[in-house]
Amino acid sequence: MTSPLLEVRNLCKSYDEGRIEALRGVDLSITAGEYVAISGPSGSGKSTLLQLLGGLDTATTGEVLFQNAALGSAVNLDTYRARQVGFIFQAFYLLPTLTAIENVQVPMLALDLLPSNRAKRAESLLREMSMVHRLNQYPNQLSAGERQRVAIARALANAPSILMADEPTGNLDSVNSARIMEILIGIQKQRGMTLIIITHENEIACCAPRHIRIRDGRIES
Amino acid sequence: MAIGAFVALVGFSRSFEQEWLRLYSSSGTDIAVVQKTFLNPSVDVSIEPRLTSVPVVAQVSPMLFNLMDLTPEVNALAFGWRADSYEFGSLTFLSGQRFENGKPQVIIGDALASTLNKKAGESLDIQGSSFTIVGIYRGGTALEAGAVILPLDQLQQLTSLQGKVSGFHVRLRPAPAGEAPDHYLKRAQKEIEAALPGLNAQSASERASNNQFVALAHAVAWGTSSIALLMGVLGIANTMAMSVFERTREIGILRAIGWKSSRIVLLIETEATVLGFAGGILGLFFGWGSLRLLSMLPQTASIVSASMDTGHLLEALGISVVSGILAGAYPAWRGSHLSPVEAIRHD
Repeated sequence: MTSPLLEVRNLCKSYDEGRIEALRGVDLSITAGEYVAISGPSGSGKSTLLQLLGGLDTATTGEVLFQNAALGSAVNLDTYRARQVGFIFQAFYLLPTLTAIENVQVPMLALDLLPSNRAKRAESLLREMSMVHRLNQYPNQLSAGERQRVAIARALANAPSILMADEPTGNLDSVNSARIMEILIGIQKQRGMTLIIITHENEIACCAPRHIRIRDGRIES
Repeated sequence: MAIGAFVALVGFSRSFEQEWLRLYSSSGTDIAVVQKTFLNPSVDVSIEPRLTSVPVVAQVSPMLFNLMDLTPEVNALAFGWRADSYEFGSLTFLSGQRFENGKPQVIIGDALASTLNKKAGESLDIQGSSFTIVGIYRGGTALEAGAVILPLDQLQQLTSLQGKVSGFHVRLRPAPAGEAPDHYLKRAQKEIEAALPGLNAQSASERASNNQFVALAHAVAWGTSSIALLMGVLGIANTMAMSVFERTREIGILRAIGWKSSRIVLLIETEATVLGFAGGILGLFFGWGSLRLLSMLPQTASIVSASMDTGHLLEALGISVVSGILAGAYPAWRGSHLSPVEAIRHD
């Protein structure tokens, strides 16, 4: 049996000195190359789970393991986020004072790549996203769909093993949503990456090979 | 502003010190013999024969100096010399001649004459006593150009220091062949101090840097500009703290996409350093402008020049860079410790 890439053991996360329990003892394992959709109603804890899986936050109790090593102790969170995880947000979160190509290069600074190599790689990724004609545009000059494509290119900048997307189509119309999903699934298949998507859209969740439902901080199925 | 204050104030005090050094070197003074104690700055003039008898000593000029009010707006350095002092050698008379001992006569520098609009033959009031201007000279330094020189006994009377002098200026005999000038100077200092226990024999450069006026100017300059620098550092720190606060989400995004805390620190510290450096450049212009203004005012023209040496400029820029780094330290620490997920949620 293949050992999981990511594993979560009895994961709990609470806020406001324990008054709000976002996750209540979640157990989960994800193998390398899997495409997993996580869905649930608003406030169910799905985004919190993704943030803990992505090393953006730390658990109250329980642990998250990456290749059998605990995040935050055996695995440095900064290094994990820089090298293993590509994060895509619902609100894109591009840096407004940087152009598209500059935004894609920002994660590469964490790896100290040469400027010429950074620029080449960024252009290549944007070409893959069909954004080569928009390299020097600022985020406020791009449409919502274009911004998300730049965000995807940025998430791929350091060739991560895991792509995590928190409601990637939440701010997009149906045409752009379909396009973004096509891109994400295409990347996952071509590169054999692990893809974890948070969504409240049933049509997206149901198409994933593995669909996890979460409610009130617990996994239902 | 802080760097401008530093450049102007410290530049002023250093310029003042340089002018004192030039004053000693232009008159050929090698050593100044003064009291060791700070609070009792005057020396008894009766020790002069013992000083003259030291073999290395060629000439001795007892002298007194003070700052005197000439008009409500103008004060000037006043030097008391004997009429036969070797220090007259550094002066070029533009009109008139030297004074005579015991007479209420003065000579004044050309810069002071211009400020007061006085000519040789006219009278000059010094703290209620009337003197005749018998000569106008061009001095070797800005200090001399803006000064009034009167007979030693007259200045002793004006300042109630009869029988006392500020010190003795000494010209040494030429160094023996084969003895290095530095070594000869140090030897001469030791021989003079051995002959006159309780007194200091200071080289011209030592004396220029620690006479009471210069020491006070340095203390005021550094004290005031230190306070200004502290204000400047706090200003930059506040600016950077506001910047970090306003860019909380941006910092959260950077952390989320893989930037380490150390890189966030580097980002913020670099911005703070650039801010400090830019402020330093502006401050240099402001400080130089202030020095230029001071060198043109009658009240300060005699004791300050607008020139700044490279060392002073680099010191000012160095301080501005260090100030930026210090000011950015806390905001950088704070920024680097923001939780990525909380920072991203920040409005």
